Amino acid sequence: MKLVVVSAGLSVPSSTRLLGDRLAAVAAPAATAPEPQPADTQVIELRDLAVPIAHTFTSGFPEGELAQAFESVAAADGLIVVTPVFSASYSGLFKSFFDALSVNEPDALTGKPVLIAATGGTGRHSLVLDHALRPLFSYLKAIVVPTGVYAASEDWGAEGLDGRIERAGNELAALMAGLSSTVPAPRRDSFEEVTPFEQRLAALRPAGE
Amino acid sequence: MQFGIFTVGDVTPDPTTGRTPTEAERIKAMVAIALKAEEVGLDVFATGEHHNPPFVPSSPTTMLGYIAARTEKLILSTSTTLITTNDPVKIAEDFAMLQHLADGRMDLMMGRGNTGPVYPWFGKDIREGINLAIENYALLHRLWREDVVTWKGKFRTPLQQFTSTPRPLDGVPPFVWHGSIRSPEIAEQAAYYGDGFFHNNIFWPADHTKRMIELYRNRYAHYGHGTPEQAIVGLGGQVFMRRNSQDAVREFRPYFDVAPVYGHGPSLEEFTEQTPLTVGSPQQVIEKTLSFREYAGDYQRQLFLMDHAGLPLKTVLEQLDLLGEEVVPVLRKEFAKDRPAGVPDAPTHASLLARTAGTAGISEKVASE
Repeated sequence: MKLVVVSAGLSVPSSTRLLGDRLAAVAAPAATAPEPQPADTQVIELRDLAVPIAHTFTSGFPEGELAQAFESVAAADGLIVVTPVFSASYSGLFKSFFDALSVNEPDALTGKPVLIAATGGTGRHSLVLDHALRPLFSYLKAIVVPTGVYAASEDWGAEGLDGRIERAGNELAALMAGLSSTVPAPRRDSFEEVTPFEQRLAALRPAGE
Repeated sequence: MQFGIFTVGDVTPDPTTGRTPTEAERIKAMVAIALKAEEVGLDVFATGEHHNPPFVPSSPTTMLGYIAARTEKLILSTSTTLITTNDPVKIAEDFAMLQHLADGRMDLMMGRGNTGPVYPWFGKDIREGINLAIENYALLHRLWREDVVTWKGKFRTPLQQFTSTPRPLDGVPPFVWHGSIRSPEIAEQAAYYGDGFFHNNIFWPADHTKRMIELYRNRYAHYGHGTPEQAIVGLGGQVFMRRNSQDAVREFRPYFDVAPVYGHGPSLEEFTEQTPLTVGSPQQVIEKTLSFREYAGDYQRQLFLMDHAGLPLKTVLEQLDLLGEEVVPVLRKEFAKDRPAGVPDAPTHASLLARTAGTAGISEKVASE
């Protein structure tokens, strides 16, 4: 079982990364329970990939490290995505990563459980989860975990955040465990599954010919 | 193996001087480049087709016909001819006319183009891009092989007892390549007809090109045209050379940095590492080009992009001297080494005519027995 955290935090240390780690610490063991070995967890820091992400928009293809990140995301059983709130939405870097991913691997997130999370300076931005992140991942055909987690600066010292992390992490784990017990549909590879040319010709032939 | 050049026909300001050539200068420069290609011993000149500024080559057969009259050996081709938005009847006629005027020294490459708005300019729907390429080419294929065609399709008015003129020279249809960077459907189309497949790999990493070519080769064999190794493959390439590689990098960098296709992105060093672009000495170009065989197999046609991004004509002609004198002779020799006997050359009018005559001879023999 494989869990991937995508963090768009920019500073070091980053509260966005911290939130991702906290969610993963709950989800990884819960996804494989009662097995003692937790799910493999990989964290992708988008800051490290900022330049290759920008390059995909000028060159059209992902460079080495970014291509590996795309593969990791596509192969994951579950995803935790965390972004800081910029100008009332996810950050541009966060969106660019998923734009570039969906151009290169259109079905990378199809049917995949995704836990959405965000950080911000004030609690007034908390609806960013349901007004920005949830529609984005619905569009990408992911299964978005019902509970999203928003952490404002004040939440880190207050009651309540732990409980939300616990609930969201367990919801993600339940989806990962439930979905991985069913056989996943093979990802369609256009290079290996070619529509025979006669079929394409026949589809264009007028009726009655 | 054939070596040549292909041009996009862009009118781009020279970033080192700020000067933009006029359309007349650019068109004449394209002709001068083609004549130079023949002079330095290259085999092929191919022009793009575009219908929007900053590009000039909207009428490829006019240009190629003119070049045909001023050359003796050069094969004239396209990179690409828009099979989606051109009427296949007009393609059949224009290129058959070129074939007669050029004594068979021509072929052409089908493509879908990369400019969305071109579809409505010619009354077509971009959402039907692949289907237009399939239906139009199926008709074109018949128009060159059947004297009288009755046809009905989805995208064009029906034809009743129609004969496209002139008929192909010696009854031999022009050889066709299909170019595509990322559509497996087009590799499949090329394989179905036993036509050539050209991958313009110049902006792409090798592993992608490899998969497209493998698909084409396997499907070529599937359709019974020969073994995968006998399929007809062409590749793009992009080079800038000076005897001293530091000089090449220094001179090309200002053009690279603002080039219309890839400028303002990865650095020249990153891009040369990831794609077939080579900026350096003739020896470096030789080594990089020979490495294409590692992922494409033994192939038939190598075209280089030499004249884009605002490079002045004088520089391009110097590049062609280096290509013709120092690079291509070595490539010819090296590519010929260890080339399996069963791998054919790219079809030409002469080879196709010989094949037709051979087949006709056999069928006569069978008939007389």
